[in-house]
Amino acid sequence: MIKSLIITHGNLGHELIQVAEKILEQKLDIKAIAFDWQGDGSDMIAQLEKFIAANKGHKIVIFTDMFGGSPSNIATRFINKNVEVLTGINLPGMLKFFCCEGKTEKFMETIKTVERGAIEGINIISEYLGEKND
Amino acid sequence: MIEKTQIIINKLGLHARAAAKLSHLANMFNANIFLIYNEDKVNAKSLLGILTLAASVGNEIILQASGDDEQEAITAISDLFNRKFDEES
Repeated sequence: MIKSLIITHGNLGHELIQVAEKILEQKLDIKAIAFDWQGDGSDMIAQLEKFIAANKGHKIVIFTDMFGGSPSNIATRFINKNVEVLTGINLPGMLKFFCCEGKTEKFMETIKTVERGAIEGINIISEYLGEKND
Repeated sequence: MIEKTQIIINKLGLHARAAAKLSHLANMFNANIFLIYNEDKVNAKSLLGILTLAASVGNEIILQASGDDEQEAITAISDLFNRKFDEES
């Protein structure tokens, strides 16, 4: 089973989880960690270490809010064969991960499906509809 | 393969929570199930796919299913639409 957590600037991760839970009408098995604006990241590192140790033997995906941001840079340190990081998570990506269609037995295949869902969730509506808007 | 025309009668149309319920229900069946609206055909088992239809109240869509439990699938999904996704009294 793939374990997941979301680490973000501020409470973005908590809010994403709450909205996804409301839409899917179920409690989601995901932990959120907020980056402490005043801190140096050590608290986030400690929480990540604790989470990974507690889920030893599982594959773990860490969702972050933005590639190159502190949460993402910290998460990158933990990448190994059992831990992967997906940056720029958004609501479509979250829904993809927790919906039946996003889950496969293969770790990287699941993450790629979520990545695709997150990217496909970004559209300029007029272009999507095939209309021109100057 | 069977098809059924379905009118969307809930006020908010195929919005996120309705799409989540619909995809969850569709995933309970073995049949391949599609929703067809205008030129678009999407997998009813995909929440994000359903959302791309942007179908609203009053719109007419086609439910299409093929597989051993196609009839049960169409009946259950049509019932969900007719119950307004259990979101309105």
